[in-house]
This record gives sequence, C-alpha cells and structure tokens, in this order.
Amino acid sequence: MIPEQIALTELERDALTEIVNIGVSRAASSLRKMIGEQVLLSVPSIEVVSHHRAARLISEREVADLIAVRQDFTGPFSGRALLIFPETNSLELVRAVTGGELSAAEVVEMEQEALAETGNVILNSCLATMANMLKRSLTMTIPEVLRGDGAKLFEVDEAGSEEGLVLFLYIDFAVRMRDIRGYIAMLMDIPSLATLKELLDEFIASVVGDDA
Amino acid sequence: MSVTVMIVDDSKLARIVAAKALTQLQPEWGKVEAGSAREALDVIDAQAVDIALIDFNMSETDGLELAAELRAMRPDMPIAIITANIQDEIIARAREVGAAFIAKPVTGEGLSGFLSGAALKLKTTRA
Amino acid sequence: MPEADAGPPPGAQAAPAQAPLPNADRAAGSALNDNQLRAVLAAAGASGSWDWDIAGDRLFVDISFAELYGLPEADLSQGFPTATFFRAIHPEDRARIRIAVAGMLAGSSLFSKEFRVCTPDGKVLWMHGRGQSHLDADDEPVRFTGLLVDVTERKRTEERLRIAQSAGGVGTFEYSDGFATVSVSTEFCSLLGLHPADRLPVRTINAVVSEGYLPLIPEGVQEALPDTLSGEFLIRRGEDGELRWIARRGEVQRDAEGSGYRLLGVIYDVTTAKRQESALRELAETLEQRVAAEVAERRHAEEALRQAQKMEAVGQLTGGIAHDFNNLLTIIIGSIDMATRRVAPSADPRVRRSLEQAMKGAERAAALTHRLLAFSRRQPLDPRAVNVRDLLEGMSDLLSRTIAESIAITIEARGSGQAVWMVEADPHQLENAILNLAVNARDAMPGGGTLSISARNATFTGGEGDMPAGDYVAIEVADDGIGMDEDTLAKVFDPFFTTKDVGKGTGLGLSMVYGFAKQSGGGIDIASQPGAGTRVVLHLPRCHGGPAEDHAYHPAAAEHGRPSETILVVEDDDDVRRYAVNALCDLGYRVLEAPDGHAAIDLLRGAEKKVDLLVTDVVMPRMSGSELARYAREAMSGLGVLYVSGYPHDAIMHEGRLGEGVDLLSKPFTMQALAAKVRELLDR
Repeated sequence: MIPEQIALTELERDALTEIVNIGVSRAASSLRKMIGEQVLLSVPSIEVVSHHRAARLISEREVADLIAVRQDFTGPFSGRALLIFPETNSLELVRAVTGGELSAAEVVEMEQEALAETGNVILNSCLATMANMLKRSLTMTIPEVLRGDGAKLFEVDEAGSEEGLVLFLYIDFAVRMRDIRGYIAMLMDIPSLATLKELLDEFIASVVGDDA
Repeated sequence: MSVTVMIVDDSKLARIVAAKALTQLQPEWGKVEAGSAREALDVIDAQAVDIALIDFNMSETDGLELAAELRAMRPDMPIAIITANIQDEIIARAREVGAAFIAKPVTGEGLSGFLSGAALKLKTTRA
Repeated sequence: MPEADAGPPPGAQAAPAQAPLPNADRAAGSALNDNQLRAVLAAAGASGSWDWDIAGDRLFVDISFAELYGLPEADLSQGFPTATFFRAIHPEDRARIRIAVAGMLAGSSLFSKEFRVCTPDGKVLWMHGRGQSHLDADDEPVRFTGLLVDVTERKRTEERLRIAQSAGGVGTFEYSDGFATVSVSTEFCSLLGLHPADRLPVRTINAVVSEGYLPLIPEGVQEALPDTLSGEFLIRRGEDGELRWIARRGEVQRDAEGSGYRLLGVIYDVTTAKRQESALRELAETLEQRVAAEVAERRHAEEALRQAQKMEAVGQLTGGIAHDFNNLLTIIIGSIDMATRRVAPSADPRVRRSLEQAMKGAERAAALTHRLLAFSRRQPLDPRAVNVRDLLEGMSDLLSRTIAESIAITIEARGSGQAVWMVEADPHQLENAILNLAVNARDAMPGGGTLSISARNATFTGGEGDMPAGDYVAIEVADDGIGMDEDTLAKVFDPFFTTKDVGKGTGLGLSMVYGFAKQSGGGIDIASQPGAGTRVVLHLPRCHGGPAEDHAYHPAAAEHGRPSETILVVEDDDDVRRYAVNALCDLGYRVLEAPDGHAAIDLLRGAEKKVDLLVTDVVMPRMSGSELARYAREAMSGLGVLYVSGYPHDAIMHEGRLGEGVDLLSKPFTMQALAAKVRELLDR
C-alpha cells in the first residue's frame, strides 16, 4: 500500500522521531517561557497514511470544536503544521501567554491575535529546529487561526478526492497547572517525503557514521 | 541619555512581551510601537528612534527587508531581528544586514546582550 | 539526590526547567562520597550514571558505568572521549542510539532508550538508558546526564508477557490524563478492529463503543473516575462492524500531587461468555413466560372443569329431586284423575272445580320437573332427523302468538348456497328450546324490536370452543334488546338464574336449552353487550340420513282393557304402584302387582294364566327394570315391556336416548297416557 520509495526504514523513522523530538522540545521550551509552567509532551506518533485517513485521525481525536493555528511550510519538504487544541481551552491559553496582565475583556479582544502569535512562536521554533537539523531552509507562511473540525483544519476532503499519501505526525502536549491540552500535528506530502527520506539518510550518515 | 526603542511586530502580544522585557532591563528608555513595516517607516519619519527591534515574520514587507531599508537610512542604528524562526539561514541573513538575532519568545536574558551592546554603541556614536 | 534520578512521569517527557544543574554536579557527587552515591544509585536499580559535557566534549561516568563498560577506574576524574558512550553498545543497537544521542545534543529534551550492552566478561545485558539535556539561556544544550538501569530480567518478563498477551488475546493500554491519544498494544487495536498503531486517539477508541455504554477510556473530570477499570462494553469493531463484548480491567494511578492520573489496563474479548450468558438468561426468561402461559391455560381449563363439575353436580341434584318429585306427582295426578272420574255428575260443581285446579297445579309442577330433567340432561330424548327449515316454518304461527306485536319476527333458513342440512335431534325439545330462546328475546325487548331467528350450515375444523370438528347447523336467535353485561353472561346457563322479576321466570329456560344442546351432541354460544342485544347460537350436529317417519305424531287413543288381558305392574313405590294398579283395573285389565323384581319373577313363574304386559319401574333396588325385563322375557316369551320412569337411567338409555325397541312412559303420567301406551303395546 505504501509506495516503496517513501517507506521509512526503522533507522529513518528513529531519525525522524528524534528530529521531531528536537523540534517539539524547542517548541515546548518556547511555550514554557511564554506561560511559565511546565509543559508535558508525549512521544511523537508518526504514520504514513492516506489523506482520507489523516482526516479521520484528526476528526476522531476530538469531539469538541477545535481551534488551530496553521502554518504552511515550503522548501525541500512541504506541508502544513498545526497547533491544535479544543476551543474551550482557547481563552485559558490566551490568559496564560498574556501573563495575567490583561482584563477579561482584553483577553477576549486579544484572543485571535494572541493565538496567532503563540502558534507562530511554537510552530516556528519546531519547524526551524527541524530545518536546522536537516541543514535545509524552509519558508513559512504567516500564521492563520482556524476554527472547525479536523478535516476543515487540514483542508482534507473526507470524500477522498485526494488519493495521495501523507506523513502524519503528532505530539500531545498538556499544561497540567493550567488545564490546557492540545497537540502539534504535521502533514507532509509524499513528493516531499521522498526528499525528506534523502535528508534523513544524510542526517543518519552524519550522525551514525560507520555504525549504520 | 535619552534612548527611544522602536518595536515592530504585527502581533500586539509580541509587542507587549518585548516591551515588558525592555522595561525590565531599561526602565528609563522610551518605547514606540509599529504594527507593520509601513508604520515603522512612518514612525522613523516622525520622530527620533535610536534602536529597532523587528519581527521577522510579517505580511507584506518582512522584518529582514525592513531592516535592510533602515540600515540603508541609518547605518549605525542598532537593529535586532526577533523571531521564533531560528533557522540558521535566517540568522545568517540577519547578520548580512548588520542586525542582531533574538529568538522568540523574547526574554530579559535574550534581550540583555543586545541592549547592552546597543547602549555602548549609542554612547560611542553620540560621543 | 542527583537531578538525573528524578525522571518525569512515564509516558510523558518534560521540557526541563532551565538548566539548574551547575557544572559542579560531579563535584557534588564527590563531596557526597562515592560509596554513598553508589549505594543510593544501586538501591534505585541503577547500573551506572553518566554526565556528558557537551561544551567540553567529554564524558564523565560513575564507577558502576565504568565497570559495566570495562573502563579504567583511574581515569574517572579525567573523563573519557564522548565516543566511549557507544563502545559497549551492541552493534545492532548502536546506530539508533547514536541518532537518539544526536537529538539530545541538538536540544531534544528527553532520552529514553533500551539497548544491549556487551560487558567485559562477555555477557549481554539489556539496559534502559534514561537521560535529559540541560540547556543554557539560549536553549542550547550544554550537558546530557542520565542513568543506566539493567532491565534484562524485565525484558524477559516483558517477552513472556507479550507472548501471554498475544496468546490470551489481551490488549493493553496506557493513558495519561490530558492527552488526546492513548498508548496501545497491537492486540488492543486488533481486538477493537482498529488500524494498528502505537497510539490511538481517545475518541477513535471510544467511538467503537455502542451507545448506552460508558467510554472505554474515561476522560475528563477525574473525581468521577472509579478506582478500578473493571467493566464490560458492547463494541462494534471498526474493521468489520461486528458486535463484540469487551471486558476491561486495570488500575487508575493518581499522581502523587493528585493533579493528574494515569490509566493502565487491559482489554479482552468476552463475547462467547456473554452470548452463553444471554442465551441462558433468555432461556430462563422464556421459561418463565412459557410457565406463565401454561399456568394461565391450566387455570382456564380448571375454571372450565370447575364450571362443568358445578353444572354436573347441579344436574345430579336436580335430576334426583325431579325423580322423587315425579313419583309424587304421578300419585297426585293419578289420584286427582281417579277422583275426577269418580265424582258423580250430580256432585257439587265446586268439588270438580277444585279437582281441576289441583290437576292444573300438578301439571305445572310436572312441567317444571321436566325442565329440570332437561337441564340435567336426563330427560329421555327421542332424536330423529329433523329438517330445521320446516321446523322453523312450522313454529312461525306459535311464535307470532307468543311474541308481542311490537316485536318484528324474521325467520330465515339458508345454507351457504345450499339447503340447510338435516339435524339429528328431538324435534319437540328443539321446538321447546327455540321457543324458550324466543321468549327470552321477547323479554329482553320490552320496548319492542326485532327478533331474528335463522339457521345456516356451519363446519367446524376443531378448536372452535368445545365443539368437536364436524358439520353442524347453527340456529341463531337474536334480539336487539337490552343485552347483558359480562357478569350476567357468565351465569346465564346456571339453573335458577334469571334476570326476570320474581315470579316471571323459573330461571330454567337457558339451562334447559344448554342441557338439550349438550345432550344432542351440539353446543350453545351466547354473545351479548349491554344495550346491544343478545345473540344465542345453538349448534346441532348434521344428520346425513333423510327425515324419519314422524311416528311421534300418532297419539294412541285411550283404550279400555279386557279382563282377558293380564298386566303385571312392578314398582317399589307403594303409592305409585297402587295408583297404577287402580288405574289399570279401572280400565278393565286383569292386574298383578309386585314391589320388586324378585317378587315379580316368582309371580310370573307361578302364574296360572299368561301375562301379556310387564309395566315396570326402571330404577328399583336389587333388580333394575331392564334386568327384570330380561328374566321376565325368558320366563314368558312374547311378554311386552313398558318402562315407567321419572329418572331414566343407563339401563334403558343409550347415550341419553331410548334404546331401540324400548317403550318408556315418563312419570308423572296421566291415566289417559298410561291407557294409551298400554293399549298400543298390547295391540302391537
């Protein structure tokens, strides 16, 4: 089912997991600096799936309406990164990142803008770190705040007009003290994946050397 | 010594965070904010600005382009690019236009090195 | 306690707090005293610890680590080249550990890997290396510290557990509060029919649970969490949509500070057990239903039996009373008859009138006992083939006279496209029954109405009430009068039950009809509702023969006897016997009498003259009338026999009807009836 050229070897998968780990560690560190609380991260989950299944995975994750900050990235590998959390968490997150300096009314007024900036910081630090690890550069769009279900956030058509495969990657995060939870998700197109695979092999070669 | 810092960021939250860090380090300094490159140029025209803190990721004109324009106008002005996009390439491009690089989210620690350097530079330039 | 020892909660990694460990970590270790530190680490299950100085590119390890790797103890304080870290790692594991460490050196926050270490003495041990990076202000990692824990034993256990789980079809899961996904085993996914994955969204898992069941993975308010995860769930498998039962067992582990929790558990399929259980339960439930139905049916049958027994008992009683009563009436009527004959024409006319009144009263009493007998089904019937249509037509005159003018009468006899069948019944009793029903109908319509009498063919296939399968003619008498309620309806066949005012009815009408129908091999149905009239249907069995010769309509003329004709009267009741003897003497016969069978036989044997006719009671002590008749005929051939009875019995009854060739005179009888019957027999 998965085309030969994009099937990741175990080492490549390890390498990708590690690179994502580095990226989200950096992102979590950024978030921690913004809200001054410990941020818990799960082990990244990486799957190569169809567009359709990716949409299902997203829509199955959450019952509640979602809010997301989305950034598309282009470069040697292209795709879409999202910071997603239940809409009910939104104001709490805004309150957290604004450090209690704003009135309730201001928090509401600032919501959209504050979410965009938070997503910008988290997704940028994650993607930039990954780009650095792979020694390539990525171009990132201005963050966009979206509301809706999973399929809408990824602009994936559940009817399945898009047959292609994607790399679907997500990491749960939770801020216990603030009752904030969410996840970072990334979708990468398969043509980009072929490139990513090459980049991963380069990375492995540089790190592992003769032990590969 | 009167110093005015211009904070350019399309995010109000980012401007608040930067201004807060700045106030911690240099409570006496004046602050002026701009929400875009165009606004920043208007501010420069209208008043004296000594230091610029510029967000990279902005629509229309990005922070590096604005930094290059300012550099052309004010070769000696201390400029810092502030962004969470910590790619080596961005850092290198910031250096090319003679701007410092400060990672987002901005903290006092992250900002202090640049500000003390800038203060020193202003002192020598004015002297 | 070294920082590295305090790991984040399992299943989660923490972004470390700003590198709190000073470079003097090692100094702290040495200050603590190496032996003490080793003891603490060993107690914690550690097989060694390391401190990778990223900036200085040097690896520092403790003595356990050095022993494990076979490093010279003397060099501990100087540290080792960082590549040393990988030296003892099994070649097959080395590449992935290099990748993981590269991640740590680049800023990844948590290191948690299992790998094999080859010890200097040639052993291969499984190690779990857990570590974390320490970052500077710019988020640059400066140190990477960690612990090695020997998990060789655990690995074996895990392997055994894995085999046990897959063999036993047990799926495992672990969920950290706050995450949207659950860490699961492959078996877990396949049990639920889900795409195999290491982590599944909570919602994906809970979506397979059927409506009405709690979620498989409880979320949200932790106060509502149970202490254990025991539960059973009906699920619809993701892949094939099959309905299965899944059991869940496990534990809820709360964080020490109580702010969060973890769920650790297993699931397994219990469909077979559940199905057996439900099959058993269903069996038990339907058993109850079946028993209930059986009991209801039985109760119904018992009720019917009780009713039948009641009717039977009442029948016995009334039959017995009627018998005795008939004897008395025979005497009364006979005596009045006799007295009337002997009253001189010149006598006081009041005497004659009184006798006539007495006779009328006695006749009414006789009619009453006759009806009682009809109900008790002990009246002698004389069934023959009867054309119902003709019978109904013949009754129309009588009916019009009996029924008030305010009531319209319709009489209709039709088959379904064919003539109404013949029935086998006693025509007199049938007329009586119809008349009875018609009178009841009339009384139910005090304000006038329509009385409909009809006859039609009906075929029963069995199962219609208590009627045996077969062809019947249904004779229906319906009115549109006041009707009856259910309570009344339930009692209408009871003798002496009447809805009529005291003195207006005997309460024997319907019960007599009932008795007649039963005795004729048919049945009776009644339907009524208050205000909606009453409909009574009499079913009589079809007769396949043609109409018999109507010999009942040839009344014998009252004839006197001759002294040459000898009649033997046998009757145990002295009064009745005396009456009969007197009556026959009066008629001019020579009469012999005997109180019982034995005396009668003696008389016959010793008789000088031929006896022409035996008139005997049916029911007598010691010898019954039929026995006597048999012996008497042996003793004297050509002897005629006339039975007299107020209580005909099996001896002369064949299924409730007179046997062939048996002549019966019902008590009470008038002298005229006796004379006619005796004459008829003697002349035959």
